[in-house]
Amino acid sequence: MAGIEMRNIVKEYGDGFKAVNDISLDIADGEFMILVGPSGCGKSTLLRMIVGLEDITSGDMVIGGDRVNEKAPRDRNLSMVFQNYALYPHLTVFENIAFPLRLQKGLKEDEIQKRVRDAASMLELNEHLDRKPANLSGGQRQRVAMGRAIVRQVNAFLFDEPLSNLDAKLRGQMRTEISRMQRRLGTTTVYVTHDQTEAMTLGDRVAVLRRGLLQQVASPRELYEQPVNMFVAGFIGSPPMNFLPAVVSGQRLKLPFLETDLPAVVAEKVTDGQLLVAGIRPEHFEDARVLDAAKREKGVVFRAQVDVTEWLGDSQYAYIPFESNPEVAEQLAELAAELDSEALRSQLIISIDAMSRLRENHEGEFWADTRRMHLFEPRSGENLTRDEAAAADLARLEQEELAERMEQAR
Amino acid sequence: MKASRQVQIAWVVGAILVILYAIIPVFWIVSLSFKEGDDITNKSFLPTVWSWANYRTVFASDLFTTALRNSVGMALIATTISVILATLAAYAISRLEFPGKRLVLGVALAITVFPVIAIATPLFNLWRNIGLYDTWLGLIIPYLSYSLPLAVYVLAAFFREIPWEMEQAAQVDGATAWQAFRRVIVPLAAPGVFTAAILTFFAVWNDFVFGITLTSSEAARPVPAALAFFQGASQFSQPTAPIAAAAVVVTIPVVILVLLFQRKIVAGLTSGAVKG
Repeated sequence: MAGIEMRNIVKEYGDGFKAVNDISLDIADGEFMILVGPSGCGKSTLLRMIVGLEDITSGDMVIGGDRVNEKAPRDRNLSMVFQNYALYPHLTVFENIAFPLRLQKGLKEDEIQKRVRDAASMLELNEHLDRKPANLSGGQRQRVAMGRAIVRQVNAFLFDEPLSNLDAKLRGQMRTEISRMQRRLGTTTVYVTHDQTEAMTLGDRVAVLRRGLLQQVASPRELYEQPVNMFVAGFIGSPPMNFLPAVVSGQRLKLPFLETDLPAVVAEKVTDGQLLVAGIRPEHFEDARVLDAAKREKGVVFRAQVDVTEWLGDSQYAYIPFESNPEVAEQLAELAAELDSEALRSQLIISIDAMSRLRENHEGEFWADTRRMHLFEPRSGENLTRDEAAAADLARLEQEELAERMEQAR
Repeated sequence: MKASRQVQIAWVVGAILVILYAIIPVFWIVSLSFKEGDDITNKSFLPTVWSWANYRTVFASDLFTTALRNSVGMALIATTISVILATLAAYAISRLEFPGKRLVLGVALAITVFPVIAIATPLFNLWRNIGLYDTWLGLIIPYLSYSLPLAVYVLAAFFREIPWEMEQAAQVDGATAWQAFRRVIVPLAAPGVFTAAILTFFAVWNDFVFGITLTSSEAARPVPAALAFFQGASQFSQPTAPIAAAAVVVTIPVVILVLLFQRKIVAGLTSGAVKG
């Protein structure tokens, strides 16, 4: 086991395109780090540079205190689970898992047998050991690939979108399985995904990448509550954060539907009449009718016409169209394209109590929790309302949790 | 339903016709090889009396047995060398990017369609000058130059089918490039290797032009060439029946090989490697 340290890692292709651009990232021993981002953001390239399948153009890759830039993959003592599993089709499940052990010199047969059986029983593969990969289901193949990864004592596990080939139900099960396994073994893990549910649920920390640049590295909670910019704010959370044009008007802030006081932290950073982007998450809205009075005081109430509602049993979403400012609309369209999503029509998505009997095409009264609203500078996307102290608090909590877990693992 | 039944019948009839067209000459040769003496003129398809006499004649003659030894030996050597070299070359071609890669493949393909007879005469002169005339090596070299490109072509296609991740996984698991090649890639390409080996073996086994032009004695003469020098039991009888017997004998290894490796050739071993 070992930590992984990346210093100013760059991957430049022959045509000058930088797939990974100056990324520095410290992954602590035993930590579960997620690399996440839309397709083409360089997350898989970065992972392949850690494992040594991709050359590093410049920068240092340090694993367990040793610089490994020039080392071949086999000398880095890492194990990897590939997106398509890359099982050896001519070998049985047993031999697939035993493959890395057979390559190690001086390992006795009974030791190999024991270790493979240990790994197999951990992954519940015991009755499949004599079968060939072709005869296994997707989930079983996935587990064999994981067995091959955990059978050795390695510095770190690397996962390259391991669940993307599974159906939704199995994906949920395997996610829990991976989490449990990592907690139990306490091995440093780097996990690449484009699925933000995986990112949020699995990782101790999540690194968000965009066009080869690192945007933010933080615990899932911090990413959600204190994003550094519009990209991170829009990427994390489902349904995504609502972005609304907001105009500064004296000490007030004017949004479609509602008006609120300009938050104090932002006041000195902006000028009168300046256009900002306000970000409010769907779950920070509520149907005003089902709200108690104490809570109502803390936000802003507004009226709006509901276009469509979606009732899901445990929750309910309402869609409210609005006229956007053309400048903001253009920014948002760009962002949507980067996030691999359709250019969204300008509408508010709000999550309301499932009990609320809201009717489509009727006006309703809604409440927005403006305390939890974020304000972004439209051009740079920078978050003007990020609370550094709260972020530091969240980071400290995450560190403590990891330390405690590592203590238990020993 | 009626139409599809007619189509089915048409297919069966067509298939039978094709099979008959291909197999009657083979059976005829077999039947001929069992006719003794003047029985070949009996004007019927089957021999009046089934006799092993022709086979005894064939195996009693030095001409045939040494030729058979030459053929087997040279075919095995040429096949082995060709497959080993082709495996390495095809792996490089399918996995590495190097300047002139297309040229190499293009030239390889050009060589396979080059008429054999065109180089037979120059080789005859060259070999006589440097002492390779009428030797095994003198035949194996031209065999290789024709069979290698074919084998490279077949194998390169097979290697290209094997996902890159296989090797990368092996490397991460601790294998050297050579170990990854030997323990993962070669087993996966086994059907391709067998196909290449059998094609090479057949090409060499059936060669006549080089066999007849580049040899002058029993030292290196292969069976197809030797058949032309065959003589009957007596000087005055046509050696048709013994030649038929010899032809049957040289066909047997080919048939055995195909039956043996048929499944290997067809098997799609890579299924299940990646999510299918």
